Amino acid sequence: MQHADVMMVIGASPTEAHPVFASQMKRRLREGARLIVVDPRGIPLVRSPHVEADYHLRLKPGTNVAVINALAHVVVTEGLTKEQYIADRCEQASYETWKKFVSDPVNSPEAMEKISGVPAELIRGAARLYAAGPNGAIYYGLGVTEHSQGTTMVMGIANLAMATGNLGREGVGVSPLRGQNNVQGSCDMGSFPHEYSGYRHVSDDATRLLFESMWKVQLGSEPGLRIPNMFEAALDGSFRGMYIQGEDLAQSDPNTSHVTAALSALECLVIQDIFHNETAKFAHVFLPGSSFLEKDGTFTNAERRISRVRKVIEPLAGLADWEVTVRLSNALGYPMNYTHPSQIMDEIAALTPTFTGVSYEKLDRLGSIQWPCNEKTPDGTPTMHVGSFVRGKGKFYVTAYLPTNERTSSRFPLLLTTGRVLTQYNVGAQTRRTANMAWHSEDRLEIHPHDAEARGIEHGDWVGVTSRAGDTVLRVEITDRVATGVVYTTFHFPESGANLITTDNSDWATNCPEYKVTAVQVVKVAQPSAWQLRRQAKIPAEPAGS
Amino acid sequence: MKIESLVAMANDIAAFFDSEPDKVVASEGVRFHITRYWDPRMRREIIAHVQAGGAGMCATAVAAIKALAPPPNSSNQ
Repeated sequence: MQHADVMMVIGASPTEAHPVFASQMKRRLREGARLIVVDPRGIPLVRSPHVEADYHLRLKPGTNVAVINALAHVVVTEGLTKEQYIADRCEQASYETWKKFVSDPVNSPEAMEKISGVPAELIRGAARLYAAGPNGAIYYGLGVTEHSQGTTMVMGIANLAMATGNLGREGVGVSPLRGQNNVQGSCDMGSFPHEYSGYRHVSDDATRLLFESMWKVQLGSEPGLRIPNMFEAALDGSFRGMYIQGEDLAQSDPNTSHVTAALSALECLVIQDIFHNETAKFAHVFLPGSSFLEKDGTFTNAERRISRVRKVIEPLAGLADWEVTVRLSNALGYPMNYTHPSQIMDEIAALTPTFTGVSYEKLDRLGSIQWPCNEKTPDGTPTMHVGSFVRGKGKFYVTAYLPTNERTSSRFPLLLTTGRVLTQYNVGAQTRRTANMAWHSEDRLEIHPHDAEARGIEHGDWVGVTSRAGDTVLRVEITDRVATGVVYTTFHFPESGANLITTDNSDWATNCPEYKVTAVQVVKVAQPSAWQLRRQAKIPAEPAGS
Repeated sequence: MKIESLVAMANDIAAFFDSEPDKVVASEGVRFHITRYWDPRMRREIIAHVQAGGAGMCATAVAAIKALAPPPNSSNQ
């Protein structure tokens, strides 16, 4: 980031969700870097002390792909592409196909303005600024991925970066700002139902053989179910048990009624957590978790940097998380004999080509390591894709804009999008128990003054928010941070029931839920919703199928 | 699993690959994606649905599922 000249932030609010990164970003901006923000909301980064975005592309929720295609249209049709870079490093045939696609007038800023609501001249200005760089860096967040076209958008971002030569050196690149501190580490370790560590598919015989010979068991070659598919399968009876560590699905996942029905249908639900969270209410077995201060381990951040986590106190519940898993495995008949997490890291290094040179000893010596770390790069790899891409030649993908199935109508005329605040973390399981409550004590619904006035709503009123999936009641905050036609809320408090109204829609490729687009109606009300009244009275969730 | 969900998922995948000018490439993209990322029980159910007429499925998705190898039968394999 220290070498970036133009930063484009898409679907992320670093000052609210990534404050450490945000402070570094603001330092670079104060040094003169330029800023483009692509977000439906007027996030703090758009204008704050000493920082002001050159362009704020305030798009309608759900139209990211329309905007990225329009930006690419300008780059291609105005001759702003880096042709030598593309010729050297990318698949020429895919580039020609993509170039023809984005050059089509249907992808022009003027045509896409009707879809995204972003004035064409702003798109043109932003595209010219990014392409001029000379170092253009893109940072994106959950406002990109949590859409039915999330994967398409990431491909569109990669297309734009390749076309402008903005990958493979310091100061450029495409960086996802992760939803939690160790999302990257979890992904690296194969926390997908179709992969082993190091992003190797379960059908890869050589990889599977490696694990089978180390673990002395036979392993499957087929992908498993993703979380939304698990819920579906639980409801039809073909999926009967779950072991959940450190995640509160009953609060964090969309369409709460559907989730709780699925959890209720399970024969065995085991929860391991540091708090008795919303999901634990459905558990048959609760295992105590340990916080980051009570265990040794590593976190890996979005720049692939592996850092040590060091135990400060003994686990208050008696065991660190990894020790609970070891005990469980031993009880189930598969002996595990680790006596320290460093031995688990040694096994990871033995099984994962990108981690071959990683050990606790080296992490202590170097401070941190950015993978890949192996024979060729013993101290790690600060910058990826230098000289060539990991896959070989870069491939351009055609990324047609397709509207989400979630549409506004006369019944649901507003679009709800969700996000976070600085002082509460995610579902709030950890931060709601702290003095941070003084800063943010409830989730509120942000609504534009015009939309509020049209509904007779005043600041602080309680409003019913109804979608095709469900309804809840929130207190209102009237603000022009949101545009007309858009409402916004956080999801830090279970009693808000924010995910009662989000839908089952998900990304076509990953099934990541579409949290960022829900058509809703908002009306003034006098009492909590039926779900909230049941929750207050501690009446259990309605049975499956209701 | 609810067949309506699987049909919707297959159609969503096909909608992305339909941007490909070459329709053979498009249906192969859908077939490859479903082979790589769908659990065998989901693949079995969508194959059975297509064999029963494939109601609600777009042409690209139907072509992809017809080319899909039947998954193995044991447990989740």
